[in-house]
Order: sequence, then structure tokens, then C-alpha cells
Amino acid sequence: MKTASELHFGERAIISDIDNSHPSFRRILEIGFTPGQEIELVNSSSFNDPLAFALRGTLIAIRKHEADCIILS
Amino acid sequence: MNKASLEKLYLITLVGPPNSGKTTLFNQLSGKNFKTVNYPGSTVEYSTCKIQSKFGIQADILDSPGIISLNPNSPDEEISINSLYNHPEMGSPNLLIATIDVSQISRHLLLSKQLLASGFDVIVVLTMNDILAKRGYEVDENRLAEELGCGVIKVDGRTGKGIEKLISCVKPKLKPDSLENKNYPYKAFENISKEKLLTLYSDIERIERNVIVPISNGSQTNIKKANDKLQILNPSLKYGSNRPDERTLKIDRWLLSRRWGLLFFFIIMAFTFTSIFWLANPFMELVDEFFGYLSTSASELLGNTWYSDLIADGIISGTGSVLVFLPQILILFLILGLLEDTGYLARGAMLIDKPLSKIGLNGKSFVPMLSGFACAIPAMLAARTISNKRERLLTIFIIPLMSCSARLPVYALLIAFLTPADKAWLGGIALAVIYISSIIGSLVVAAIINKFNKKIINAVDSSSFILELPAYRVPKIKNVIRNSIESAKQYIYKAGPIILVLSIAIWFLTYFPNHSPEINTNGLTQEETVQMVKAERLSTSYAADLGKFIQPVMSPLGMDWRIGVSLIAAFAAREVFVSSLAMIFKVTDENNLQSSILFAMKDAVNEETGKPLFTVPTIIGLIVFFIFAMQCLSTVAVSKKETGGWRIPMLQIIIFTTIAYVFSFITVSFLNLVGF
Repeated sequence: MKTASELHFGERAIISDIDNSHPSFRRILEIGFTPGQEIELVNSSSFNDPLAFALRGTLIAIRKHEADCIILS
Repeated sequence: MNKASLEKLYLITLVGPPNSGKTTLFNQLSGKNFKTVNYPGSTVEYSTCKIQSKFGIQADILDSPGIISLNPNSPDEEISINSLYNHPEMGSPNLLIATIDVSQISRHLLLSKQLLASGFDVIVVLTMNDILAKRGYEVDENRLAEELGCGVIKVDGRTGKGIEKLISCVKPKLKPDSLENKNYPYKAFENISKEKLLTLYSDIERIERNVIVPISNGSQTNIKKANDKLQILNPSLKYGSNRPDERTLKIDRWLLSRRWGLLFFFIIMAFTFTSIFWLANPFMELVDEFFGYLSTSASELLGNTWYSDLIADGIISGTGSVLVFLPQILILFLILGLLEDTGYLARGAMLIDKPLSKIGLNGKSFVPMLSGFACAIPAMLAARTISNKRERLLTIFIIPLMSCSARLPVYALLIAFLTPADKAWLGGIALAVIYISSIIGSLVVAAIINKFNKKIINAVDSSSFILELPAYRVPKIKNVIRNSIESAKQYIYKAGPIILVLSIAIWFLTYFPNHSPEINTNGLTQEETVQMVKAERLSTSYAADLGKFIQPVMSPLGMDWRIGVSLIAAFAAREVFVSSLAMIFKVTDENNLQSSILFAMKDAVNEETGKPLFTVPTIIGLIVFFIFAMQCLSTVAVSKKETGGWRIPMLQIIIFTTIAYVFSFITVSFLNLVGF
């Protein structure tokens, strides 16, 4: 099962599910990471964490830990 | 604000996600009476003012903090959401204006849908239409109005086009009779389930597909081409409005580059950091000189009486000590405001989040910590941007350890004592060592405090970092200036009175009971007499009693009550240490204060031991003390205000002063032992 934290730079993928056992899952959903949406890993900080994803017309930075609850298809 | 003036006015609250153009709209509507109100007992703040009179509406508008959904994610968000239902000072809004950035309409519709479903009376304003138009699309506002069942108006943030239409939509909503059978909104979205959220989003996506249409009168072929291109790149897209801003992606290739990103970050922050010194310095000197002049004129005018001294040395100098930091606060907020408005600040927070998260801080802690090198007061105000309460309190907690500019005069004096005049570069190195120690010290303290989080910070919040990186844009200078001035006003109104009262208290302690001491004036000039009186008064004052009382504490450091008094006086503000030493060692040459203090310091003898008072160990011990000690009363006052109670400022005083004392003791003992 691949999650958003395992994407390579420039790689796109479609979200299949959000892990609702994760403490931040609701905010992740609310900010627009919903199943069916396409995301692209655009950037990361020099420390490889947080990661910046292109999503729904904008860029969202989230920690790797949070990207782990975004399950890709 | 009193109730009577409120009853006549309607209240319109602006609500929207962060970066949705809410504040721009607020500025276009706003007229007189601009002010910020606090939600009682918290640091959540709102800008409010009357609607511009030319629009002919008697209403207050309230700019609420940006929220993503009606389901709160932090204590501050919960307050923001609750205040939509009922703001304790402003009442419940008669109408909400919800802003939506159309270039990311699917994300921003979430909040509007929730507001409508909760029963609020809402008008939706669409912003950033030009960005969508560049991609060849527009929103069909009539169709969106049908879908949502509320008024939808496009407003251009730059030109203000659409404002008139918005006003004509607002007017009929604000009739007195329309308020009587009003539906009261209810809280429908707390702990919303995943299924409900997904249903909401799929409805939003359906609406999005319906309302976003290609611009019909543009060059059709180009759009078709662009569309085809996007379809090839990304077959899942039904239309081409889903890519982030291309220019932003290009700039980010540099500013967020994995190799150069940190370098750019440090260059930008170094510029910010140094400019709060060199840009602010001339203004600070001006303020200082002005109050010095006022104080001298006042004491000349009022003669040699206690009330003249109260006014000149207590009230005027106290006011001066409040206002002297104003230039730094203004410049700091200006630069940070510009960085935030361009969109860079969010990226800076992202770049530095990882190392800071290791010690319980957040990427957003960086800017407040940096500001702390200018002055802890604006730094603590800047910590408001940290949404996580625990991380915000921890950031505020360690800010006093940053080497603020008020410590500089103290370090300058102490370093000058240590280094020979012909080797000035040694002083530079010493200062660098002091700054680096203060950074390391604060990080270590943060890590330790974080370990004892439950006992000290007493706020549990699961740490997260979810931050939108807004598209780069040219900053709106007018908004930035307005917000900087507002922050500066806040500092004066809220921290000012406390600082003033405490300054007067310190003045009282150093002035009474022996306010007009008798001294032998034979053979002294008038100026010398005045200085002698001052010195005699201080050495017989309550502060001196206090100094003698803490003598047992000072002795282990190899210091006597005179340094103790200066340290007590430095609690008003650190730089007072220098002038207080001057007073206590009867230094009279005001033209060359530093070299005459140095001269007096070299001659000073410890009254207990008979040995020289200022030695290399005691001087280094004093420097160590100043690195850690929580001495600034203004900081205590702001810390109390920003953390909402006395708990954290008290802990700061106790913990930092203890660390300062213990480390200073260890330093002095060690240096004495190795034979300095």
C-alpha cells in the first residue's frame, strides 16, 4: 500500500483513501486531500520533510507523518 | 465598546479560508473606527470597523481569522468558530460574507457549504477571478448562486469592481423586520464523520464542474489547445483550472530548491534580522534623545523637588522606555508583513520545520524567535501565527533567551572591560560567542522544557504542520502598513501602561526614603552636587536595602550589593544596568559615560573582601547572567498578556533567573579556580 510520503518528485498519483485512524485525518480531508483527487509531489524542504503537494489548484505543505495517512491507488 | 452604540449597528462578519482575499475585501469596505478586538481571555484577534459611509449602510464589519472548516482543529480555531455564532463583545452577526478564491474553488467551497448548511445568512464573494481568467476559465456566478441558494458576487481585489453590486445585495438583508424571524444557526459540523465530509466534497465537485466554464468571448482556439494539453498531461481533469499557478511553481524551483532553498532562506532572514538593527537604530536614537531632552527640560522647569524627579525620571523616562522600541516593532512587522504577503513566509516555515519539530517547536516558531533578537515584545506578538497552542506557548517561553537589542549596551560595557582598547576585534568575537551561546542555550532549554511539557507548558495538542503555500504575488503595501501600525498600537496600549507603572515603581525604590540627602557640597560644582545627591540617594534607597538584603546571594558570585542594586534596576529594562552602575559608582562625566564607568569599575573594591570588585571572572559571570536572566518587565507584561495568565511569565522568571544565577556561579567559581 503506497502512501503520499513515498512519491518521487514530479510524480503524480490519485488518492484512493485517507486513513481515518490518523490524528490529522480530518484536517487532511478538509484541506482537500480526498479520494479521487490527483496529487503531485512538487517540493520538499532540504530536510526532506515537510513535503509540498500540488492539489486542487494550490500547493499544500504537510509533514511526512501526515502524508502517511494519504493512501494512493 | 459599549452596548448602546452597538444596538443601532448591524454586524457583518467576513469569513473565509486563509488566503481567500478576505482582508483585501475588508479593506475595501472599511471606513472609520478601525480597531482590533480580542476574544476575551484569548489571543485570537479581529479587525473591526464601520462600513465606509459612501455605501450608505450603518453596519460594523468584522474580519475574522481564516478558517478551513467549521470543525475546529485547535483551541484558537474553536474560538474563531464560536465567535461566528456569537462574539462576546460584538454579538452575533446579522450577515456573513464568505470569500472564495475561485482558483481553488473546490477547497474553498467547503466552508461556504458548511456555513449555509448551518443556517447562517451568507453572501458569497468570489475573489481572484483574474487568476482563473488567465487559465481561460470563469465562474458562472448565477449558476453557483442557484446551486448554493445564496447571493454570489465577483469582486476584483485590485480595482474594487463588484463592490457596489455586493453592497446592493447586502442592503436588503439588513432590514430590521428581516431579523425577527431569523433562523438561529446551529453547530452541525463538529467532529464531522469521514463519510459526511466525503459526501460534502463530492457534492462540491459536482458544483465545481457545473459552474466553471471556459471564457466565451476569449480566443477559443487557445483555450482548446490549453485544454487538450492538460487533458493529455492529466486525463483525470475535467477542466484546466486545477494546476497551481505556473509562475509560483517556477519561483519555487529556486526558493524551495532542495539544494539552495536553505541558503535563500538564511539570506532573507539575515537581511530581516540585520535591518531591524540598522534601519531602526537612527529612529531609536531619535526617540531616546527626544525623551532625554524632555526629561532634562522638565526637571529644569520644575526645579529640584521630588515631584520634578518623579515626572522627569519616573514618568517621562518610563514613557521613553516604552516608546524606544516602537521603531523596531514597526520595522519588524513591516518586513514580516511584506514577506507574508508575498507568500514567502509560509515557505520559510516549511523549510525550517523539521529541525525545530525535533525540540517541540514548529516551522512557524522561526520568525518569532528571529524577532526576539530585536526585542522580545514584538517577537511574542509574532508567535500568534502558530496555531498549535503548545508550540506557541513553548515558543513564547524561550523568546526571552534570544539576545535582544537591550542587552547590547550591557555587553558592550562588559566586553570593553575585558578587551584592551587596541584589540577591538576581540570584542567582536566575544559578542559573536555571546550570540551563539544564547541561541544554543535557548534551543537546549526548549528541548528540556518540551520534555517536561505537562508540568510547564500545560497544554496538550497533537503536533501537526499543514500549511498552504499561497501563490506568489506583489504585496499590498497599504494593508501591510496598516497592520504594522495596528500591531504597534497594540503594543503601546496593552504593554505600555504596565511598563510605565513598573518603571515608576523602580523609580520609587531607587528614590525613597532618603529623597533629599544631606551631603557636603564644599568645593563642588553644581553639576557635581546633583550627581553626588543622586548617588547618595540611591545608596540609601529601598533598592539599596534590597541590594544589601540580597548581598548573601551576590557574595558567592564575587559581587557586592552595588552590582545587586544595578541588577534589580535592570529588571525594569536591561539597558538600565549601565546607567545604574554609573549612578552607583558616582560617575559624573556624562559626555564619555562608558570610559568613565570603566575607569570607576577598575578602581572599585568589593566592600566585603577588600579585593577588586570587577575581575575577569565576575565580568564573565555577569555576561552569563545577562544571557539567561529574565529581567525585562515589559517582556513579563507581554508574556502575561499573550499566554493569558501569570503562570508562564512567573515560570519564566523563576526558571531563567535560576539558570542565570547557577550558570553565573559555576562560571565565576571555575574561572577563580583556574586562577584568573
